[in-house]
Amino acid sequence: MRRLMALVRADVRSNFGWSVARHRLFVAKKDRWLVPVFAFAILSVLPALYGLVLFVRDIYVVLEPLGQQRALLTLAILIAQTFVLLFGLYYVMSAFYFSRDLEFLVPLPLRPFEIIASKFTVVLVNEYLTIAIIVLPVFIGYGVMARGGPAYWINALLVYLFLPVIPLAIAALLVVGLMRVVNISRRKDALILGGSILLLVMAMGLQFVLAGADEHVGAAAVTRFMTSPDSLLYMVGSRFPPSIWSSKAIAAGFSVDGLTNLALFSGISFGFFVALLILANAFFYRGLVGLGEVSGRKRILTRAELSQRVSSGRRPVLAIFAREWRIMNRTPVFLLNGTLVVLIVPVMLILMAKAGSHERFSVLQVMTSANPLFAVLSVAAFMVVCGSLNGTSSSTFSREGAQFWISRVIPVTPREQIAAKFMHSYLVALLGTLTASVVVVWLLRFPAGQLAAAAGLSLVAGVLLTVIGMMIDLARPLLDWTNPQKAIKQNLNVLFGMCADLGVLTALYFAIRAMVRARLSHGAILVLLYVVLCVLSAASYAALVRFAERRYREIET
Amino acid sequence: MIEFTHVSKSYNNGAIKAVDDLTLTVRSGEIFGFLGPNGAGKTTTIKMIVGLLRPDAGTIAVDGLDVGRDSLRIKGTTTYVPDYPNVYERLTAIEYLNFIGDVYGVPRSERLDRIGKWLRVFELESALTNPIQSYSHGMKQKIVLIAALLPAPQVMVLDEPLVGLDPRAAHALKELMREHCEQGRTLFFSTHIMEVAEKLCDRVGIINKGRLVACGTMAELRGVGATQESLESIFLDLTEEAGK
Repeated sequence: MRRLMALVRADVRSNFGWSVARHRLFVAKKDRWLVPVFAFAILSVLPALYGLVLFVRDIYVVLEPLGQQRALLTLAILIAQTFVLLFGLYYVMSAFYFSRDLEFLVPLPLRPFEIIASKFTVVLVNEYLTIAIIVLPVFIGYGVMARGGPAYWINALLVYLFLPVIPLAIAALLVVGLMRVVNISRRKDALILGGSILLLVMAMGLQFVLAGADEHVGAAAVTRFMTSPDSLLYMVGSRFPPSIWSSKAIAAGFSVDGLTNLALFSGISFGFFVALLILANAFFYRGLVGLGEVSGRKRILTRAELSQRVSSGRRPVLAIFAREWRIMNRTPVFLLNGTLVVLIVPVMLILMAKAGSHERFSVLQVMTSANPLFAVLSVAAFMVVCGSLNGTSSSTFSREGAQFWISRVIPVTPREQIAAKFMHSYLVALLGTLTASVVVVWLLRFPAGQLAAAAGLSLVAGVLLTVIGMMIDLARPLLDWTNPQKAIKQNLNVLFGMCADLGVLTALYFAIRAMVRARLSHGAILVLLYVVLCVLSAASYAALVRFAERRYREIET
Repeated sequence: MIEFTHVSKSYNNGAIKAVDDLTLTVRSGEIFGFLGPNGAGKTTTIKMIVGLLRPDAGTIAVDGLDVGRDSLRIKGTTTYVPDYPNVYERLTAIEYLNFIGDVYGVPRSERLDRIGKWLRVFELESALTNPIQSYSHGMKQKIVLIAALLPAPQVMVLDEPLVGLDPRAAHALKELMREHCEQGRTLFFSTHIMEVAEKLCDRVGIINKGRLVACGTMAELRGVGATQESLESIFLDLTEEAGK
């Protein structure tokens, strides 16, 4: 047990970089400017959290007279658990199979379940942070309204601690099973990629099953809400009983009902965890050992074959673009979070639309035909979200990692390197705009003229957002990662990039609203938007080049 | 030629002096070996030559050009081999070499000749189309070396280039280092292998705790006609003395 605890402690420290952060902040005295930035980021979340608590309080007031208020807890828990399941697939795969420290851990006298337990803990801690934003406002709002005593808060804390265990264990079981199969094959990367997409689709499917409960709310169900307390809780949680047990455990405190449900919830969670350890003990190494091996065929090329493969000299910009494209698309984690996101998200939207009711799309169609400006702007916003809200531009320098030295020593100006990286990130945004266009035409039968106007706006806005993402990553590239997941999925620059993009979109929204209120014609609004976005894009690109010329000298590797 | 003039570099806001007032000239056509214990400042010095680190004070010039001001021109004629072969693992070796050829502007015919030659020398011909990810440490080291040789640079800067190489490749590397300098080009490399430095280098510099404690030919280091001490003994004496 002591050995396990030491392992968990070391793993958590290494994963969250606490030792490195302490060294950089207090010994090397670098990155101190990040402290106020992080403090500001955390403080800026507090008003939103407070707003959510107030929102929860309002819903509580509506549900309480019907005796349905406990469904609030169930809903929050269920949403949090769905999140854990979806994101857990990536985190688990990355932590269990692609952390570089596994190379040191496997030769140590540790049993597979000990390594799994420590990796599971790391992912669990990550998940606590992810779900906090979902469940804390509900737990706090409910607790305040229900005047929960110490029993409420203690049970809420315990439920919070156990909450991610079951979905994470399910994700881990799926991943351990997948990797056991993948490791047999020579084409591991392709299988990992295919498998990840399949698991994601399965998890989405599961989510649809869970969400399916609210699709058939008939008159009988409404009557039941009015007459039978907690019927809403049972309906919401019926597809996943642990969410009911955990809600009851919190709401009923230290009563027999509360303690029984707490025991049931924690017991089943523990059971899932133990099941994972048992299975992992049997299968983990078989999926892991040899996973990093890439076999190549040995064959000496003839002079003619070599001559064919030696390029006749691309321009440096194109050579760097080709490098970016190849590395992105050949690294499964990068591909999943970059190029494929822009293809998968619109496809999922189509699937969701096909599975759901058609009425909402009819409503959208009516809205778009009634107000063409609204239609163009909404579709442009949708295209921007599909094209630019991925981690491609905001991880473009971080993805180079320890190989960034090559970019520093080659005789290519930062201006050219930026141009190549921009071309790559922008191409991904273009792909997103294209797939979004297909979705819009398919679902809304959107007219060609409006589609072109929206796509044009999205493409110009795409330049600005791509540049912003690149600037954020260039300011503080994450180059010392040992696991590619950290360069894109767990890279704060990607999060900051998305926040900045949303900020730009919000600013544009207010600008448009002001123009509408000023009674400008639709045509004038569109032209003004184009002009403003073109100017901003050109200015920001020029600023990026200047910034790169400075940063390429400063970044020490 | 590489010229260091009063170059200093420190870390942790000056708490650790990695390189302390280094003044040194490495002449054209010379193989210069840079020796020192772990943490003495060898890698820091090398990284400052190729522009990966900036000196806090002093200047470094390569073939008369200032590293800070004329970095692009220097990069065009200088190549670097790091102490660990971190290369693009998702590219195949030929893709990586083509990339290097493209960014250094190596003409196609020269590229073809040089790639063919160095692949034969380092026995990598059969793995050229495989992803670098599938390479062993030594093979990665070889591909980084070939990439550094591909532009036929005026100046080569190598950090522990022999680590991880098999004896045959190590021998080939020593031969080509000599060949490189016979053409009037400069080679600056760090090593821990005293025998290699002793036999191969025209001059040797020994750095300890950031300061250059000795520099010269083997004969100069021994003190002309005084002793027949090996470089290892000189190194141990100098670094121990400075440590006291």
